[in-house]
Amino acid sequence: MKKTVQIPLGSQHISLLEPIRFKFECENETIVGVDADVGFVHRGVEQACTTKFDFKQVGFVVARVCGLCAITHSLSYTLAAEKLLDFTPNDRIRYLRMLMVELDRIHSHMLCLAHTAENAGFEALFMQIMGDRELVMDIQEAISGNRIQFDFIAIGGVTRDLTPEMVTLLHKNLDELSGKIADLIELFESNWSLSLKYRGIGALSLEEAQIYNALGPLARAAGLATDVRVETDDFPYEALGYEMMLETGGDIHARNRVRLREIMNSIAMCRNIVGNLPAGEIMEKAKGKPKGEVIVRLEAPRGELFYLVRGGGQNMLERVRIKTPTFSGIPAMMEVFKGSRYADAPAILASFDPCMSCTAK
Amino acid sequence: MLKAMINAFLNLFRPVRTHNYPAEPMPLPPAYRGLIEYNEEACIFCDKCEKACPPKSIRFFQHEDGRKEYRYNAWLCIYCGECVRACPKPEEALWQSEAKARPALKADNVNGGWFDWEAECAQSRDDYAAAKKAAKAAKKNEGA
Ligand code: SF4
Ligand code: SF4
Repeated sequence: MKKTVQIPLGSQHISLLEPIRFKFECENETIVGVDADVGFVHRGVEQACTTKFDFKQVGFVVARVCGLCAITHSLSYTLAAEKLLDFTPNDRIRYLRMLMVELDRIHSHMLCLAHTAENAGFEALFMQIMGDRELVMDIQEAISGNRIQFDFIAIGGVTRDLTPEMVTLLHKNLDELSGKIADLIELFESNWSLSLKYRGIGALSLEEAQIYNALGPLARAAGLATDVRVETDDFPYEALGYEMMLETGGDIHARNRVRLREIMNSIAMCRNIVGNLPAGEIMEKAKGKPKGEVIVRLEAPRGELFYLVRGGGQNMLERVRIKTPTFSGIPAMMEVFKGSRYADAPAILASFDPCMSCTAK
Repeated sequence: MLKAMINAFLNLFRPVRTHNYPAEPMPLPPAYRGLIEYNEEACIFCDKCEKACPPKSIRFFQHEDGRKEYRYNAWLCIYCGECVRACPKPEEALWQSEAKARPALKADNVNGGWFDWEAECAQSRDDYAAAKKAAKAAKKNEGA
């Protein structure tokens, strides 16, 4: 007789807001096997990019792949297109772009922490983090003029400049935020329901992280030193105070800690960026039509974002391939589930911060 | 832990952090990206805005007498501002205001209506091009 039962989680589930389906093979309470199914929200973005839109417009299309990392998507594509056009933006443009990406990382990490708190049954903390997240959303809104779909980056530069009022607002809000994050760090360390529930749950060892190609905060929480920000030189991260946040636990608690410390690091980097903003034009002319093939990697809040763009010297591109962090991280995620209890599955899942609208695109 | 408990108690006396929407309007940031506005007087009908627009929410309708009519679909617009950037006469012919679009009503027929809207504008162009071609051919015949 079969000793295991199959329990599905998703594609629609109360504790899981993303359209993904897991099939758990459970023995009593313990998960022994996992099967994942993504692709419930396939929108044909890649096809649309090569059949419906000019290469100049594709940046705005891919920004709609995901609401949270809109800026990272449009930046990856724009970098790819600029490489094909043989165009290098000036330092001011690079700094402004980097500023937006780091602000994006802060608010995305805060969203994930809020969900993790919610899954611990800590609804009030969820509300509090989401409320504090408004501080960084306000900065982004002031800079780009929009709350979510920033459309701030275009081929050749950025569309809006930083005014003194924005810089004042940025410093004010980031000061307030760093105090709140310091409180949160203490809370995630010492709060009974958060730390007791999350220590040792959903652990990924360093070997597993290497074998299954983990990336982003998931890998860094397991002690695997991987971050696209230090592996590429599109942006001057090292010069602006980037530090890699490594933990060794590999469990939910370690992932939370990595995120919290990365927020602190991003806040420091944002301050450095606006403090050392070089002078220059915010928009330059990038002439020509994209010809050739190029790969761009960028560290999205959740891990490595990969773009392949191929153009044949025409207005329409030949191929746009998007590989999102969650998609590349699925093998490692499935590994984490094995051996955990079924009741922990939603919390483990929330700590991965999966993004299905990105993955299925 | 203690700090959190004190905080939780103090929260009872702090003001609420949400907005009383829709009774009070949401505060918009300065230079909010709102509706695109157009001034026909200044426009030179270069069609650059139409070509730049990613979702194609600016369309020029071609009248038979050669006149072009600007049409804008606020519910299709993503407020990216590309049209203004492409326009040779920004701020005079085309600019981005800070006004929000009103919610679409059923009468606006935005869902299926988008395709009708696009087809109508494309058809007007084709008709105009065909009429022009026919006129040219007729003129040529006359000449011969
Ligand atoms: S703002 Fe963007 S979407 Fe709206 S009409 Fe202009 S180009 Fe089109
Ligand atoms: S780009 Fe400006 S001038 Fe040209 S058609 Fe559009 S509104 Fe008129």
